[in-house]
Amino acid sequence: MSELEKLKAELKKINAEYAKIKDLPPEQRGEFGREMNSKKQAILSAITKAEEALESENVAPLDISAPAAPNQPIPTIPTGSEHPLMTELARVIQIYSDMGFNVIEPQQLDDEFHMFDSLNFSKGHPARDGYDTFRTSEGFIPPAHTSTMQHRALKKYQSDLETTGQIAVVVPGRVFRNEDVDATHEHTFYQCEGVYVSKTATMGQMFGVLKRFFELYYGQKLKIKTQPGYFPFTEPSAELLIEKPASLGGKGGDWLEMLGCGMIHPNVLKMAGIDPAVYHGFAWGGGIDRLVMLKYNLTDVRYFESGKLDFLEEF
Amino acid sequence: MRISLNEIKKYVSIPDAVSDQELITLIGSRLVEVEEVIDLSPKYRDIIIVKVVTAEKIPDTHLTLCQVDAGGKRSDLAGEDGLIQVVCGAPNVRAGMLAVWLAPGVIVPQTYGNENFKLGTRKLQGYESNGMLAAVDELDLGTDHAGIAEIDPKTAQPGSDFAEVFGLNDTILDVENKSLTHRPDCFGLIGFAREVSGILGQAFTEPELIDPADYQITSAQIQIDPELCPRYSCAVFDLPKNEPSRYLTADAVFLAKAGMRSIDPMVDLTNILMLRTGQPLHAFDYDKFLTVGGTSELNIIVRAAKEGETLQLLDGKVIECTPDDILITSHDVPVALAGAMGGKNTEIDASTTRVVLESATFSLYNLRKTQMAHGIFSEAITRFTKGQPAAMTMPVLLEAIKLLGVAPTLIADAYPGGESKNVVKITTSAINSLLGTNYDTEKITQTLTNVGFSVAQKPLKAHKGKSGVIASFGLKIASRASGEPTEGNTEVELIITVPAWRTDVHIPEDIIEEVGRLLGYDNIPLELPCGPFTGTEIAPMLQLKAELRNILSNRLAMNELLTYSFVSRNLLEKVGQDVSESYEIVNSISPELQCFRQQITPSLLDKVRENIKSGHKKFTLYEINQVTSRQAGLDADGVPVMSTNLGIVCLGDFYELKADLFAALERGLKVDIEYAQIAPGSEAAKRYPYLEPVRSAELFVGTTRIGAFGEVKDSVKRKFKLETPIAAAEIELDRVLEQEKTLTVDIQLSKFPAVERDLTLKTAADMPFGRVNETIRSVLQGEQLIYSVKPVSIYQQPDADTKNLSFHLKFASPNGTLDSTQITTIIDKLTVATAQIGAMIV
Repeated sequence: MSELEKLKAELKKINAEYAKIKDLPPEQRGEFGREMNSKKQAILSAITKAEEALESENVAPLDISAPAAPNQPIPTIPTGSEHPLMTELARVIQIYSDMGFNVIEPQQLDDEFHMFDSLNFSKGHPARDGYDTFRTSEGFIPPAHTSTMQHRALKKYQSDLETTGQIAVVVPGRVFRNEDVDATHEHTFYQCEGVYVSKTATMGQMFGVLKRFFELYYGQKLKIKTQPGYFPFTEPSAELLIEKPASLGGKGGDWLEMLGCGMIHPNVLKMAGIDPAVYHGFAWGGGIDRLVMLKYNLTDVRYFESGKLDFLEEF
Repeated sequence: MRISLNEIKKYVSIPDAVSDQELITLIGSRLVEVEEVIDLSPKYRDIIIVKVVTAEKIPDTHLTLCQVDAGGKRSDLAGEDGLIQVVCGAPNVRAGMLAVWLAPGVIVPQTYGNENFKLGTRKLQGYESNGMLAAVDELDLGTDHAGIAEIDPKTAQPGSDFAEVFGLNDTILDVENKSLTHRPDCFGLIGFAREVSGILGQAFTEPELIDPADYQITSAQIQIDPELCPRYSCAVFDLPKNEPSRYLTADAVFLAKAGMRSIDPMVDLTNILMLRTGQPLHAFDYDKFLTVGGTSELNIIVRAAKEGETLQLLDGKVIECTPDDILITSHDVPVALAGAMGGKNTEIDASTTRVVLESATFSLYNLRKTQMAHGIFSEAITRFTKGQPAAMTMPVLLEAIKLLGVAPTLIADAYPGGESKNVVKITTSAINSLLGTNYDTEKITQTLTNVGFSVAQKPLKAHKGKSGVIASFGLKIASRASGEPTEGNTEVELIITVPAWRTDVHIPEDIIEEVGRLLGYDNIPLELPCGPFTGTEIAPMLQLKAELRNILSNRLAMNELLTYSFVSRNLLEKVGQDVSESYEIVNSISPELQCFRQQITPSLLDKVRENIKSGHKKFTLYEINQVTSRQAGLDADGVPVMSTNLGIVCLGDFYELKADLFAALERGLKVDIEYAQIAPGSEAAKRYPYLEPVRSAELFVGTTRIGAFGEVKDSVKRKFKLETPIAAAEIELDRVLEQEKTLTVDIQLSKFPAVERDLTLKTAADMPFGRVNETIRSVLQGEQLIYSVKPVSIYQQPDADTKNLSFHLKFASPNGTLDSTQITTIIDKLTVATAQIGAMIV
C-alpha cells in the first residue's frame, strides 16, 4: 500500500470515529471534537503534500530540445534587426552624453570650407590629398571626416563658454573616402568626432577623457598609449591606442589604434570666433566600424553596407 | 618610408641600456607610427663569402663546375682538398673571384617571407652542387641577374659573413609617411636621427656642413620666380670617368635597404644624398642643356608652364603641362618638370661628358598639383611636397661635389629671399598649461636644444594672483585649477630660434608639440575636465531616429539596412527619378556610385531581389539616412540642404504597410496621420514616380506633407526583376520632427464600465471606408464619450455593388454608467448619421 493510500485509509478511519461523538456525554463532546479535527487536519495536509509530490508523475514530459510538440505547428516569432553600426553608434553617443557632451550630427554633403579651410588646411596643401575626398560637380564634398563639424560645433555652442565655461560636443556620422573597397576598406563608414573647449583644457585632460570613454565602453580598466600624429587642425596632435580589452580576447601587450586627437589649432578656434589667447581646446575623431568589427570579430567591413539579411539578421 | 636602424646608429649613439625593441617603441610613441619592423638578420643568416678557386666549363652546357673556398666554414661539405663543389650557371663566374655562397639549408633571400626556398645539395648535369652562388637579385639587393654578385676583395675574405660585411644584420622600420607630412627634415636619415637623439634626451651632433665661402658662387646664370622656386642651386662639372663598379657595393646595399635600386654611380650618389639629407638632386647633360637652349652659356630659367606646353620626360612619356606645373628651362626651352622628372632632351647617357647638377626647392603646392596631374609619385617628389627647406640646397650640392671628387667649372645659386631668422617666443607656463604638465624651464630648454633649436631665456616680471595674458604672444599663463603660475613666481620667456630645416615650426603651439612629443605624451598625467552639471542636449533628430529604430526593429520586426549614399544613374532612371536633380560625384569610384541619392526607397528596392534569392520570403527593410536633391537648395552655409528620410520597402501590399505605418507613426510616435489619395500625373505622383498612384497615399500631419507610401508600380518592379507585391514608403523625418514638437496626446480612461457593440453597415461598393469610420467617430465624439472604433472586416462578394463594413465599438461616459436608454440613443444617432451618407446598419 502506498503512502497516499495509507493516509486515505487513515482519513476514513477518522471520519468513522467521528460517529462516536454522539455516544459521548455532552461535556466530553467538545474536547473529543477538537481532538478529532486536529487529527483530520494533519492527515488532510499530509495527503495534499503526498499528492503534490506525485503530481509530475501524471503529467506527460516533453522534449526540451525540440522546437514544438509532435504534430503542433512550430512557433515563429517575427524578428526584426537593428543595424550593428547604428546600435554601436547609439551606445557611443550614450556614453559621451552621460559624460557631459552634447550631440549633433554632420551633413552628408559639405563644402571645401568645412572640410579643409576651417580646419587650417592651407589652400592647395598636400595634406588635403590624404583625405581622398569625393567631389560633386559644384565642388561640394561628402565629408571625409566628422571634423567638418568642428567649426559648426564651436559656433553653435559658443555661448556655453559664457554660461558653463566649456564647449563639449560629439558628432557621430557618416563619412566618405575615395578608396577601393576590400575586406578592410570601405568608401563609406562612420566616425565620431569630439570637441572640448575651456580656459583650462589640457592634453592631459584629453587623454583622461578618452581613456574614460574606452573604459566605460568596454566596461573595464584600460591602459592607453599614444603615438605622434599630424593633423593641420590640431597642434600638438597624436594617435591614441588602447590595450586590447579582455572582452575582445586581449591578453595584454596588444594595442589597438583607436583614434586621432590633439589640441585644437589656434587658427581653428580663431576662425570660429573663439579667442585662442583665452581658451584651449581638444578634439578627436575615431571610426565606429572598427569598434563593431572588433566586438563581433568580423573580418569583412563590406557586410555593413551590403544590405544582406543573412548578415543583418544576426543583430 | 624605410629607415635602417644601423644607419640611424651611425649618427646617434644609442645607450646600452636601450634595446632595439625599446628604441623602436620610443620612435613609435614619440616620432612616427612604425607600421612594420623588418628584421633582416634571419633573411641573410649563414650566407658566406667564398673564393672561387677553380672554375671549369661543363662541356655542352652553360654551367661551370666550381670549387670554392669557404674559409673553413661548412667543412662538412668540403672535399679532401678543403674545397666545396658548386655548379654555377652565371657567365661571369671565374677562378679567383669572391662570390656569395648560399649553402645547403640556406633560404634564398629573394624568396624569404614568401615561398622560403631552401637550398639543398642536388645534381646538375650529373655534377653535385652544394647550394648556389648568388646573383644580386637572388640576394634581394637589386634586379641584376646577368651574373653572380662579385665581392671586392678589399672588403672581405673567404669565410666572411656576408651580412656582417654589408651591414645586413639590420632592422628596417617601415614608417607611416602621413604622420610626417609636415616634417620634411624627417625624410632624410640625418633628420630622422636627430629626432631619435631628441627622444633619447641626447644632444644631436650635427654632421659638418661644407662652407660655401670656400667656393666661388655666382647667381648670374639663373632666373627664378621665388613663389615657385625659392632657391635654385647648381654646379657644372666634368662627369667623373667612374666605371660602374663590378663589385656589389655598400652603396647598392644602402639603396636596397631603402627600397631603391642602384643605377649608375652618378644617379646612385644623388639618391644616397637624398636619402641622407632629404634634399633631392637632379643631373642634366650639360652639353645637351646648352644645345637645347641654343646658348653657349648656362641660362636656367625656372618658370610656370604655359597651358598646353609639352615635354617628353625621361620615361619617354610626353606630358601636356598645366599652368600649375613648374618647368626648368634652358633659355626658356623646357628641360625638366620641376621636382618630378627630368626631360628626355637632357638625359645623361653614355656620351655625356659634362653635367649640371641641380639642388633646388619648389613650391609644394604646385608640385602637389603636378603630382596629381601627371601621376608621378617618385621618392623625390614625395620629399619636395613636404616643403624642403631652401637652406639645405647649397650644402647638399657641395657635399655631392665633394663625394664625387670633381672640380666644378661653375657653381650658381639663386636665393632671392635669403636666410631669415625664425623666432618663436613662449613661456614655460604656457607650455605646461596646454600640455597639463609641470616641466621646468631647464628641461624644456634642453629638450629643444637637443634637436637644434637655440633657446634664450628671459625672466619676466612675476605674475601673481589671477591668470593673465602675456601680450607678446597671448597665451594664458599658467593654468591648472588655481590659475597660479606652476613654478615659483618668476615667469620665464623662452626666445627660441628655429633651425632652418624646421619649416613647420611657426607658432608657440608648434613648440609645445615639440616639447610634449619629445618628452613623451605618455608621460603627461591624466586628468578629467570638471564643469558644471548642466545636462546635455542630444540633437532631436538623433532622438527621433533612436525611437523609430526601436519601434521599427523591435516592435514591428523590420530589418534595418544601411546602403550607400551614392547610387547609379541607372538606379535613378529605373525608379523614374530625374538624374539631373542628383548632385553628381565627379570622381566616383564607379558608375554605381555616381549620384547622391534623392530618396532612400530606391536603394532599398535595389536590395530586395538578392535577399529573396538568398531564401528570405517575407521581410520589411528600412533605412534612415540623409538625402538631398538640387531643388532642395542651399542652407545658410551655402551647402545643400539635407533631409533625413525614412525609407521602407516591404514584401506585402498597401494595407500591410499601412498597418506598419500606423503602428510606427500613430501608435509609436503619437503623430496624427492623415492620408490623401495620389492622383495620376499630380505633383505627388511625380515626387514618388515608382509608386502606383492609384494604390498609394500621401501622408500628412495637419497640413504638412511628410511623405508617401503605396505599392510599387509593376513597370518598376519588372526593372528590378521582382514579381511579388511590394509596398514602399518614404517619410521625411524633418517634417515629422516639426510636428512632433507641437503634438499633444490626449489619453482618457473611464472609471465607468464601457459598452461594447459590433456594428455592420452595408454600403455601396465604392464607399470609402474612411468616410464611414469618420462618421461613426464623430457621432461618438459629439456625445462626449470615451470611445474606440476598431475595424473588424470588410466583406464584399465578387462583382457585388455593395459591401459590408464591420466595426467593433467600445464607448463609455466619463460621468457615469450608461443606462439602456442612453445606449439606445447613441445607437439611434449612429444609425441616422451613417444612413445619411448611405451606410445602412444591418
